[in-house]
Amino acid sequence: MYPLLGGIFMGWSLGANHAANVFGAAVSSRMVKFWTAAIIASAFVILGSVISGRPGIETLKGLTTFSIEEAVISSVAAAITVTIMTVFALPVSTSQAVVGSIIGIGILNGQFNYAGMGKVAACWFGTPVLAAVVSIILYKILAHYYNRLKLNIFESDAIMRMGMIIAGAYGAYALGANNVANVTAVFVGAGLISVFNAALIGGVSIALGILTYSRPVMETVGKNLVKLDPFSALIVVLSLGLSVHFFTILGVPVSTSQAVIGGVLGIGLIKGVDTINRKTLYHILTGWFMTPVVACLFVVLTHFIIHLQYVPNR
Amino acid sequence: MLNFVFKKERQVELLLYEYLDTFKLSQESFSNAINSCILSDMSCENFDFYIKQTHKHENKTSDISDEINNIMYGKALIPDSRGDMMELLNDIDTIPRLFKDILYNIQTQRISVPVFLVPEIKELVKISMECCELLIRQAIALFTNTGGIRMLLGSIDTNESHCDNIERRITAAIFDSDIDPFQKIQLKELVEKIGNISDEAESVSKLINIISLKRRV
Repeated sequence: MYPLLGGIFMGWSLGANHAANVFGAAVSSRMVKFWTAAIIASAFVILGSVISGRPGIETLKGLTTFSIEEAVISSVAAAITVTIMTVFALPVSTSQAVVGSIIGIGILNGQFNYAGMGKVAACWFGTPVLAAVVSIILYKILAHYYNRLKLNIFESDAIMRMGMIIAGAYGAYALGANNVANVTAVFVGAGLISVFNAALIGGVSIALGILTYSRPVMETVGKNLVKLDPFSALIVVLSLGLSVHFFTILGVPVSTSQAVIGGVLGIGLIKGVDTINRKTLYHILTGWFMTPVVACLFVVLTHFIIHLQYVPNR
Repeated sequence: MLNFVFKKERQVELLLYEYLDTFKLSQESFSNAINSCILSDMSCENFDFYIKQTHKHENKTSDISDEINNIMYGKALIPDSRGDMMELLNDIDTIPRLFKDILYNIQTQRISVPVFLVPEIKELVKISMECCELLIRQAIALFTNTGGIRMLLGSIDTNESHCDNIERRITAAIFDSDIDPFQKIQLKELVEKIGNISDEAESVSKLINIISLKRRV
């Protein structure tokens, strides 16, 4: 059980950081109460992990071979990387942290699945692009019907609020299904636990992070990153859910933060306005670049420290 | 099921309609006070009663407005709509306050309207009241999303311009006459205040139009 603590820590970090991507806009704009969002997100993350988490776990465990020690090092290094980014309130890609740490393990043991890594990297680039395309298409279609419905102010508000809750729940399901692999796949690779147990433990630890520490990041994402009207915010969360779910089916863990940025950029393209604060975007891009590099360095450094031996002078 | 889930929204909706009904009552009392007493018979016994009624309805609109704001602070409606509704009520509230202020000015300053001004002031009050009626229709159109908001804005705008013209004519007539200079100042202020009703109605009407445009995606 002890080796899993690193993974549980990782899941906690992931939940604390990434719940903001699905419920940040709704909570920070006070459309949905924090605790309503946190409880719904937690429940759907666990459901997503258990029902649809297997393909991602299979992909990540196939990137390299792991001993139990390497699995723990990889998991802890990724978790520390994500936690540092969370403390600085930067929406960070856990997938990049995990893959960065797996690369570190691959460098150390000299075994690496380049084809698998290529697929993962391609999907990283594809995530914001797909989310942008989905948000543009969804916006066009739903706006057409929304305007035709002739809803009064009260009906429209009720639908918007319900929509945010449903889209958030779907986004949380996709988050759990896609990102649970980041939490416990290395332990499956090391033969420590079964895929089902990995999904369950991963899901519960993500939910724990959402319930205990997601509030500050939700406020950052909602208030500093995007200034969207309720309809656009709904479209962004829906496009996040759909694009992340698509990559879940492909079996590749991707970044929900990148999906949000893609969705928001798509809205910006439709409306012809800057929907993203450029300074914040720069910080996020720096975070994305730094995350795999830092995680990889942490793995190498931790491995080096663990294997230091005292050699007496003769 | 939705009625149960969105109980607060439903409460706000009902209170908004109650607010508009009370606004209408306040408008009727004001109109009665001006038309039945001030312009036709200065010694009208009902004048004090109409003032009290106008004041009572004005108080009630403020109370309802506060109640709506309190419910909205309790998380009814999404923040965007909440802000719009609060601004709208705040702006509409200025009109019943104007009704009350005008009547109290007449009462406390013992203002009497010279006969030669009566037809023009009647016309000014009549068109100002039309502006208020159109405003209520426009607010209902916003709450029910039945359309026609822009057309109603156009009508209110036309009426407001008409009121401005009448106001200028009355002011000129006041200063062309040989009545007491002190009375001239009193009447000029009275006419300006009555003219403010249509100005405020137009301002609220523009706000309603913007809120309506904002809600399209």
